[in-house]
Amino acid sequence: MSEAIALQQPAPLGLPARLARLLPGVALLFAIGYAGKLAEQLLRDYGKAHHLALPNVEYVLWAIVLGLIIANTVGVSPVFKPGIATYDVWLKAGIVLLGARFLLGDVVKLGGISLGLVAIELVVAIAIMTAIGRAFRLKPKLTSLLAIGSSICGVSAIIAAKGAIDADDDDATFAIAAILALGAFGLFAYPALGHLLHMSDHAFGVWAGLAVDNTAEAAAAGAIYSDAAGKIAVLTKSTRNAMIGFVVLGYAIHWAARGQATAVANRAAFVWQKFPKFVLGFLFVSALATAGAFQKEQVASLANLSRWAFLLTFAGVGLKTDFRELKKQGLRPFVVGALAELSITVVTLLLVLGAAAVFAL
Amino acid sequence: MQSRRLSLDWWTVIGALAAAALIKIGFIPRIPW
Repeated sequence: MSEAIALQQPAPLGLPARLARLLPGVALLFAIGYAGKLAEQLLRDYGKAHHLALPNVEYVLWAIVLGLIIANTVGVSPVFKPGIATYDVWLKAGIVLLGARFLLGDVVKLGGISLGLVAIELVVAIAIMTAIGRAFRLKPKLTSLLAIGSSICGVSAIIAAKGAIDADDDDATFAIAAILALGAFGLFAYPALGHLLHMSDHAFGVWAGLAVDNTAEAAAAGAIYSDAAGKIAVLTKSTRNAMIGFVVLGYAIHWAARGQATAVANRAAFVWQKFPKFVLGFLFVSALATAGAFQKEQVASLANLSRWAFLLTFAGVGLKTDFRELKKQGLRPFVVGALAELSITVVTLLLVLGAAAVFAL
Repeated sequence: MQSRRLSLDWWTVIGALAAAALIKIGFIPRIPW
């Protein structure tokens, strides 16, 4: 996962110089995120002052839309890029801190339900993406990348898998752009559909965590629906992320058996290396909160710090989504991705509605 | 990829835990939203 961050330099720079390179991009993330927060407040205040029943547009949506507009019109200057790439760091830090808002018992219960659903989602998503990829005669490794991206954890999974199955840079860039673009569409479609179906915060959160591929977008989709749904979406998505090592290992073995990738020497080490460490941090903070390590105000502060971290992440989601990347590989792989996502959306929705009825989510 | 140095993933977790510790000991009194 760490490879997702553009911190590695060709020539080694000192720590202060590296941090200085991040500043413009981080400042841009903050400016866009904060503008989103202000926009939410302004709209709410305007509605109150003029007695208008305006829809509550969450800051998340404002921040993402602002980022999307900037990235796809004027574009982002290279000076901002290293800092924007830190959005992944803020996401993971935000998830660790979010642990304070969960009791460990809830994590185990919800995590258990999620794990069962994730297992089904993984099998279905991989099967669907592989079948559609074959039907449309995509390059097999591109299909593998899209299958991994759509079944597990979007961008980080694709980057983790790229090295493991020796895939082309172009294929990986495309798969990432496709996952992000489809995710951006999902951000608008999922909450709308959730409201239409009168889904509970819990059920919607689980659905967003299962169906939206990129962790940042899953968290955003949940948060657009409601604060509680955002929390649950992050938990479900983290459960899904925890599976990354096993799925990537499966694909690495598959391609190595065909002599088209290097064989994995130590499978346990491979799974551990790919395991998202922030999940451990999340569980640790949740355990501390459950043990009563934090006072009520401290839990509130931790939750707010987590919100600020997510604010930077959501600004990054919009800025990282570049629809122009998609044009480079043509429409066919994108159609495959879109068809597969649509099928996964329907299957996971049915799963969640079923689970909601059984477990009263 | 395998190295003895801690990965960025671990540093992120350590950073978040350090922030939680600063809140716990009262060094950061209150974070508003």
